[in-house]
Amino acid sequence: MNCEVCQLKELDVEHFEIREVLRCILHTILFHRALGLVRPKDIDLELFEITYVQCGDVELERKIDEKIDQFLDRVEKHPNKKNQICLSFYEVKNKQPTWFTNKVERLYWEQWYINLNVAQHQKGHSGKSTSSKIVVDPEAEERTVRRAALEASLRDVLFQIIRFVNEKKDHIPPIPNLEGVSFPYEITISSSSDSAFGMEMFKRMLQTGHPTMLS
Amino acid sequence: MASSHGNTHSERAKMEQIITEFFAKSLHIILESRCPYVSSRNYSGEQVLSSLSPSSSSSSSSSFRPRDKWFNLALRDCPAALENIDFWRQSNLEPMIVDVILMQRPIDWDPLNFSPKTGFVSGKERHYYGSDNEEFGCEGKNERIIERWVLQYESKKNGGSTGSKKRSNCTSSHALYKKSILLLRSLYATVRLLPAYKLFRDLTSSAHIRMYNLAHRVSSFVEPFTRREEADMQRFVFTPVDTSCGRLCLSVLYRSSVVDMGLDPSTPISPQFIPEYVGSPMAEPLKRFPSGFVSQSSPSSSPFGRRHSWSYDLYRASPPSANPSPSPSPTYSDSHASLAKQRCRRLPPPSLPHHVPDETLVAYMKTPSYDEYWPSPVFSPSPSPSPPTYVPNSHISKALLRCESAPVSIPVTRLSSMPSLPNKQLMPPSPPMKATLLSAAENIAHVRPTSTADKLLSFSKDRPHQIPGARPSVNSSPSKSFSSRLSFQDDYDDGPFVVEDDEILDPSSRSGLFELPGHPNEPGGNLFVKRSQDAAVGALVRMLKKAPPLHQDLQGSTLQTPTNSIKDTTEISEEPRVQQSSASNSVSSGLGLVTSKTTANALEELHGYRKMKDSLLKLK
Repeated sequence: MNCEVCQLKELDVEHFEIREVLRCILHTILFHRALGLVRPKDIDLELFEITYVQCGDVELERKIDEKIDQFLDRVEKHPNKKNQICLSFYEVKNKQPTWFTNKVERLYWEQWYINLNVAQHQKGHSGKSTSSKIVVDPEAEERTVRRAALEASLRDVLFQIIRFVNEKKDHIPPIPNLEGVSFPYEITISSSSDSAFGMEMFKRMLQTGHPTMLS
Repeated sequence: MASSHGNTHSERAKMEQIITEFFAKSLHIILESRCPYVSSRNYSGEQVLSSLSPSSSSSSSSSFRPRDKWFNLALRDCPAALENIDFWRQSNLEPMIVDVILMQRPIDWDPLNFSPKTGFVSGKERHYYGSDNEEFGCEGKNERIIERWVLQYESKKNGGSTGSKKRSNCTSSHALYKKSILLLRSLYATVRLLPAYKLFRDLTSSAHIRMYNLAHRVSSFVEPFTRREEADMQRFVFTPVDTSCGRLCLSVLYRSSVVDMGLDPSTPISPQFIPEYVGSPMAEPLKRFPSGFVSQSSPSSSPFGRRHSWSYDLYRASPPSANPSPSPSPTYSDSHASLAKQRCRRLPPPSLPHHVPDETLVAYMKTPSYDEYWPSPVFSPSPSPSPPTYVPNSHISKALLRCESAPVSIPVTRLSSMPSLPNKQLMPPSPPMKATLLSAAENIAHVRPTSTADKLLSFSKDRPHQIPGARPSVNSSPSKSFSSRLSFQDDYDDGPFVVEDDEILDPSSRSGLFELPGHPNEPGGNLFVKRSQDAAVGALVRMLKKAPPLHQDLQGSTLQTPTNSIKDTTEISEEPRVQQSSASNSVSSGLGLVTSKTTANALEELHGYRKMKDSLLKLK
């Protein structure tokens, strides 16, 4: 079985936008992978005029929020770095225990990479002079432009997910469960400068047995 | 072979059923997010489940309907989808085209004068485009197709199934179903990302009246867009789902931007003040309550007001008939009837009989020990020119009972039983109040030189034990005295006014005013007592007449007690002489029988009980 990898479009986000962006993307992906009986729940983003869909699983929502909190902590500890979240779906293969390992093998059949470039907002401490007004307005306008661009990019990312889901269907294993997220999954966080980042990728390559498709 | 053929047939049937349900589900997903009239979204945008479906966000298999389980996607109810799908249930080979139409109102549209006929096309209308269908002018100024969904199942016209195809057919339905699930998931997410969804949300979530509306049209054949129209639109094509029998295709043409169409999503009507709303004073003037509830009679006329007034009279030490108006209440005119009523409503101890005949009351009031409950100095003579309070006969008892003042132990009985009481003995004709009181006290002092007189003059002093018949718990303050009296009454079920023997039989503890057990008509020794009682009764009656309302300051009225009581005594002493020979029937109109009837009833009953008590004591 192939492991389909999808590298989503990189997004330039600010710190306060991370949570909403990640929720939107992760839930959209998982909604397409919750092939059991679901009652979808529409969620409106507060920062953008985008409505995404959740599968309605409360446990899933909690897990995602936990991962987002971890990501935020990591971003605060490692600023000015490209951060990545990897959402992987795998199958559990019971491997016969050997001398070396007794673990259950995971066979990843799909991986989603969410690339975020967290912008460090540099506050202007130019003093409180009369010229501050002039400074503020361009910043606000720039922020508005940036926000609109981010919204468009986020929408593009969502369409990218939809296209990927539509195009790649054969690699999906049989649906095991009837409700909620059908397949086991995991969410990992890494950053570009992290030495473990490469190791994570290498491990997955060994497990899947296929080279990672980097697009 | 037969089995394989049967399996193929069943497989084909399954696939057809999947396709049919796919059509229905797709239409459902599209219309529920494009048809405002059937939307049940709330303002926050969260999905609100219809009443038909369980309002639970968690997946619960027991709460899903059969059609929800198709493709594992439970949706809200969408009647428009259900209405329009019948055609494709019959034949899923026909394409299904869903047009989402943006209807714009004219610029000069007046919402108040809007006529629905010339306005929007109802979203519930469905039209099947035929070759000659010209119901809609898609090229009209106010109508624009902003989305066109095309769903089609292209069947493959292949030959008979072979071995390989048979195998694939066995799994094709499963694969078809799984892929259909994925496709519908994508469709569900896509419809919310397209620009038209924003218009839908604005229409459903906001209370503002919009200058546009969304309509839909489901048909199997439409006129294709012109090149120019199509240039303004974008296309999104879902990956077709291939099956052995055909190919399921879904695509959408949509306008990338609806803002360019001159829409103003937020054009609310300016708020207008409605001066005459329902319930406003201008719309419905406040109705006045009838003024008949204002009591014009004395407080004593009201049974409820009087019910407790006799318990408060000790506090204020004035007759309840503080209302100077001599106008008698209806209760006075109909003494017997009201008396009966008062008996029922009264708060006195439950041991009081409901009906006490006048004779009994009279007899009871003859008992000398009534004054143990009634500290006579509490009497406050009425300063008003009300009729005299003295009623010689039984009417006196009634009158005094009507006063509702606390001290029912008014020796009206003595007055009534002895119409020829030498009231003049009580007081000089018109002495000063103090003098009157003093004379009364002197009369009382005949039996007990000092104690009773002192009590009359200083009622507030703490000498409860000197009040004959009074319980030791009776203290100086009027309120306390009465409260003790009440409690005293309550303690006895059989006789509310049973007095302790020692208090009664001990002559030293009693004044002459508070007679020893004995026949009230006994001459001699009882004469003075009767006279004192008469004075006390008169004072009491006067006090009852002048009793202020319940809410008045009790202390102030208490202070006035001595002087008032003197006055009352004087007046009472005068009245019997005047009315001594008067007929008994006329008494009810006099005597300040502005006093309440309930007090009179209470007094009557009290006297009746006293009489009984005395008789019992005599038996001993």
